[in-house]
Amino acid sequence: MTDLYHRLKTRIDNSGFSSERLLIVFWQIALLVVLIALWEMATGKAKLNAFLFGSPSAILEHFIKMALDGTLLVDTLTTSGETLLGFGLGNLIGTVIGLALWYSRFISKIVQPYIVAIGSIPIVALAPIAIIWFGTGLASKVAMSTFSVVVVALVIAYKGAMSVDEDQINLMRTLGARKWQIFCKLVVPSSLGDIFAGLKLTIGFALIGAIVGEFMSSSEGLGHAIFKAGSLYIISKVFAALIATIALALVLNYSVGKLEQLLMPWRTFD
Amino acid sequence: MSLDPPLPLLVADNISKTYSHNGVDNAVIGDVSLKLYPGEVVSVVGPSGCGKTTLLNMLCGLLPLSSGAVTWRGKPLAGMPERVGYMLQKDLLLPWRTALGNVQLGMELRDNSPAEIQQRSMEMLAKVGLGAFHTYYPSKLSGGMRQRIALARTLVTNPEVLLLDEPFAALDFQTKLLLESDMAKLVRSEGRSLLMITHDVEEAVSLSDRVVVLSHRPSCIRDVHAVNLGIDRTDMMAARRAPQFTDLVRLIWSQLEVRGNND
Repeated sequence: MTDLYHRLKTRIDNSGFSSERLLIVFWQIALLVVLIALWEMATGKAKLNAFLFGSPSAILEHFIKMALDGTLLVDTLTTSGETLLGFGLGNLIGTVIGLALWYSRFISKIVQPYIVAIGSIPIVALAPIAIIWFGTGLASKVAMSTFSVVVVALVIAYKGAMSVDEDQINLMRTLGARKWQIFCKLVVPSSLGDIFAGLKLTIGFALIGAIVGEFMSSSEGLGHAIFKAGSLYIISKVFAALIATIALALVLNYSVGKLEQLLMPWRTFD
Repeated sequence: MSLDPPLPLLVADNISKTYSHNGVDNAVIGDVSLKLYPGEVVSVVGPSGCGKTTLLNMLCGLLPLSSGAVTWRGKPLAGMPERVGYMLQKDLLLPWRTALGNVQLGMELRDNSPAEIQQRSMEMLAKVGLGAFHTYYPSKLSGGMRQRIALARTLVTNPEVLLLDEPFAALDFQTKLLLESDMAKLVRSEGRSLLMITHDVEEAVSLSDRVVVLSHRPSCIRDVHAVNLGIDRTDMMAARRAPQFTDLVRLIWSQLEVRGNND
């Protein structure tokens, strides 16, 4: 027994889980359990109106029902598809333009006020245009998602490209590099750090764009589920879909972090 | 080696640099003339803030001159001069490239075959004593090792002239002496020329054939000293033990007019 205990303990120690970290995780879970228990008790004893506030047991019930009839899967896949397409397109367009602006300080100065103006548009305000231009199907959600990503990605890529060390550029020049070589071998890779930080930020924006698009008009998706359940006053179902959305957001965030580690091995992560 | 009298590689003829900011002229370099001959090692020392880096950047075409002329191998400076290596206090290694990848950078920018790039870069990395570390990323290496890689990156393109701007200023004393000795060997054995900017008078005297002393801003040449230590010039400790060493260092120090209040 003591042998097993020690082996387990060294394994835990080696895996970087200090006892303090275990304690923190314990209290995080405990807090969640206590809050859910209080919520359940309050609605059970009618201190809290279950119709208005939902109850954990009802949320779980809806969640299982959605999982069993397949709508949970369809909605999650729909929303993640829209989000990923918008995320990819928005970052691709934004990053390419942002990096390309490094090439000409003159052009970048000309377009700067336009970028600021476009960037200041609240995403919801574009929903009607997105529906008129792209219809009520997938395209309008992807457009909304793309739009909520593209300006942020552009600004981040541009800032990254412009923050390249002047001495480093001079060094490249003394080595005989031409401008496109400086761009490919120095500016693009050294902006990657910023671009990846941008990916972590914009994956959330892409999800917001997709959900807002679904709110406006849709037949499936997590935003659709939330909107529909809300209009029917099925609060527990709203919460169930909300939990699925949170889970989706966490998975997306985690995947982007993994992608960064995979593509930038020279960075030491802790 | 030709039998003709050697032509200077680099001639700076009464060059000056003035920055204008909001209508106020700020003269950094007043009037500097110097020559660098093939195979010669020359150091430029000056009080801090005297515009040494500005001078170096003007010589290699990174900064336009306000007046005067720079000629390389008898031709007026246009763009980057050929076969000139440039190295700064910052190693400026690319963090996403391994040690070997960083050394390869300069050759990749020209049209070299991949096999040749690989082979010559490995050789050069071995020459600076880091052959075993070719797969390491710079973040895993010490300051001295990183500066060695920077030196290898500079030398692998086989430059005739090295322009160095305080290349060893960020290193501890021991590392610095070792690296200076190794660099002196690599430069002198191949007959390369070296022009180094430094604030370290001992470094300048122990490495160079000539030491150029600059004045405060706007910088002019205050004096030029020929260094004859009568020893093997690739041993930095031996240089420091040479009888003339201390006197020359003292003399140059007195010419630097170190002021109490730095402006």
